[in-house]
Amino acid sequence: MIGRTRFLVGIALRHLSRRRRQTAVAVSGVAVGVGFFLAVSALMVGSQNDFIEQLIDAAPHIVISDELRSPSPQPGERVFGDGAMELHGYKVRTEVRGIKDWQAVMAAANAVPGAIASPSLTGGVTLRLGGHDEAIGIVGVEPEIETEISTIEDQLREGRLRDLETTQGGIIIGEDLARRLGVRVGDIVAATSSTSSGRSMRVVGLFKKGQSQLSSGTGYVLLREAQSLLGRPFIINRIGVRLADPYAAEAVAKTLETRFGYKAESWQERSADFLSLLVTRNVIMYSVVSAILLVASFGIYTVVSNSVSDKRRDIAIMRSIGFSEGDLQFIFVVEGLILSLIGVLCGWLLGYILMSILGSLAFPIGGEIERIPLDRSPRQYAVAATASFLAGAIAAWLPARKASRVDPVDILRGAV
Amino acid sequence: MSAILETRNLGRNLPGDPPIVLVRDVNVTIEPGAFTTIVGPSGCGKSSLLYLLGLIDRPTTGELLVEGREVSQLSGDERARIRLARFGFVFQFHFLLPEFSALENVMLPIQRLGRLPIAQAREQALGLLAGVGLEDKHGKTPDRLSGGERQRVAIARALANDPILILGDEPTGNLDSHNSARVVETLHALAHEQGRAVACVTHDPGIAEASDVQIEMLDGRVENVIDRRPAKPQGLLGREPSAD
Repeated sequence: MIGRTRFLVGIALRHLSRRRRQTAVAVSGVAVGVGFFLAVSALMVGSQNDFIEQLIDAAPHIVISDELRSPSPQPGERVFGDGAMELHGYKVRTEVRGIKDWQAVMAAANAVPGAIASPSLTGGVTLRLGGHDEAIGIVGVEPEIETEISTIEDQLREGRLRDLETTQGGIIIGEDLARRLGVRVGDIVAATSSTSSGRSMRVVGLFKKGQSQLSSGTGYVLLREAQSLLGRPFIINRIGVRLADPYAAEAVAKTLETRFGYKAESWQERSADFLSLLVTRNVIMYSVVSAILLVASFGIYTVVSNSVSDKRRDIAIMRSIGFSEGDLQFIFVVEGLILSLIGVLCGWLLGYILMSILGSLAFPIGGEIERIPLDRSPRQYAVAATASFLAGAIAAWLPARKASRVDPVDILRGAV
Repeated sequence: MSAILETRNLGRNLPGDPPIVLVRDVNVTIEPGAFTTIVGPSGCGKSSLLYLLGLIDRPTTGELLVEGREVSQLSGDERARIRLARFGFVFQFHFLLPEFSALENVMLPIQRLGRLPIAQAREQALGLLAGVGLEDKHGKTPDRLSGGERQRVAIARALANDPILILGDEPTGNLDSHNSARVVETLHALAHEQGRAVACVTHDPGIAEASDVQIEMLDGRVENVIDRRPAKPQGLLGREPSAD
């Protein structure tokens, strides 16, 4: 069986070796298809991975806030939930905002293996310096834990998050904001909120430009500093959770939300619109690159089809000698597969070169040297090869079937 | 004498209205050790009969027995197997595969049958080429050989798997008289010295008259069969004188 296969493959190779030009054209078609498939998909998948990584890291994987997805049920509804009744216009009891019993929520989040939860309090304050007012949102954090769950440390141009612990009334603001206020690290600004009298704070760090939200409208302070500034002692309204496996975020968030009732938003939920955009992008990319591969397979079809028509006489001879229909079909399908194989190998090389070129390009963005994110995983190579072989096999099989159906009598009778 | 091929009311029609009759009601036997020719005017169905006998074409009516076994209903693969292992073909045009050397052409059926390792297949093919006087030209492709040489390679290829039956479709039709005589001589030797069955379609009256059995066809029918072999006692085989 192996001997027979090798023998028939030998015949296919011999056929191809006698039509070098056509073979070369078909092979380059496949090679270009595979090469560009690799380059394009490496770009697309690479940038997608990079993008998702940024989405994941932009904020904690799960953010539990003191919001509720629906208003808390009124006592009447609690008691007569199933009864026929309607409540409206009732007087709602004013509740203190913030996550109640947040230590329990923290404990539950920390109980997830590899997870770290960080409490914070956010609120609005006004920074004032020499008659210039800037309304900003402040975030009170525990620097030690916060650095572990977010990439906030990377966004700092000057200072470190831990500096908040060592400086009384320390605050970290963005470069843009600092420029508008005219302050630098070490300077003092006045901060006031709606619920407390003003106090002075010292700038201990600056966020980089570019991250507009951080850079112009946010200030980081110590948690207890924020609690006193906002007049909400012992209260937090936000818990950020970082997980060992970001992709478990959705499930963990759901569990936490069901258990405590507070809105727990995973990064997937937060960026659902981006993720659906990525799906669309993938559909577009794979349609385009599949079209390239499909067009490449037309070349294979042409070569094998020509080979079959040129070799009708030889096919009749082989049939008369005792080659079966299956043998003939096999020979011509193998011709297509050989073309695919050489094409795929050349295409891998081409793709590798294209990726190396793309990977060597560097762009200065926002003062940093950025490289194009590329996905160079073997998976791409495997996908490209599988798709080409499939297309090549089908492209060869159609004319090969024709070859097997050649009636030797017609050819022998009318032989020239 | 056990026949290699036997036909019973063999017929072949092409579909049409009315159907076109290529061959009808043919009852012939092809026997080992005999050189059989099929003759008749153009279009009388002699090539069609040869293709039926060679299992290249399928009959529409009647039976065809190869060594006593009815084969017309066998699958394409089984028929291909019989052609490969038991039959050898020589055509008017040499019909060698142009991409392959003379040696490789002869090796094709041996390798396809797959009974011999490649070294032995090569050995056997070289032996066959030597038999037709072409051992020194085995590396040449068909376009580097003369017409007579190509036809001799084709004969060597027909003998590749040691067939019991050699079928020729005007094997000398395209050759000059010298080469033609040489090919006929070879075919006679295959029948008389090696005891194979040889059946050839021919236009050449000289070849027909020199044959052992001459089947004359007209309008798809066998008109006459001339058997020139010396009469033998009924049922007696050379090696078994007292079989009866």
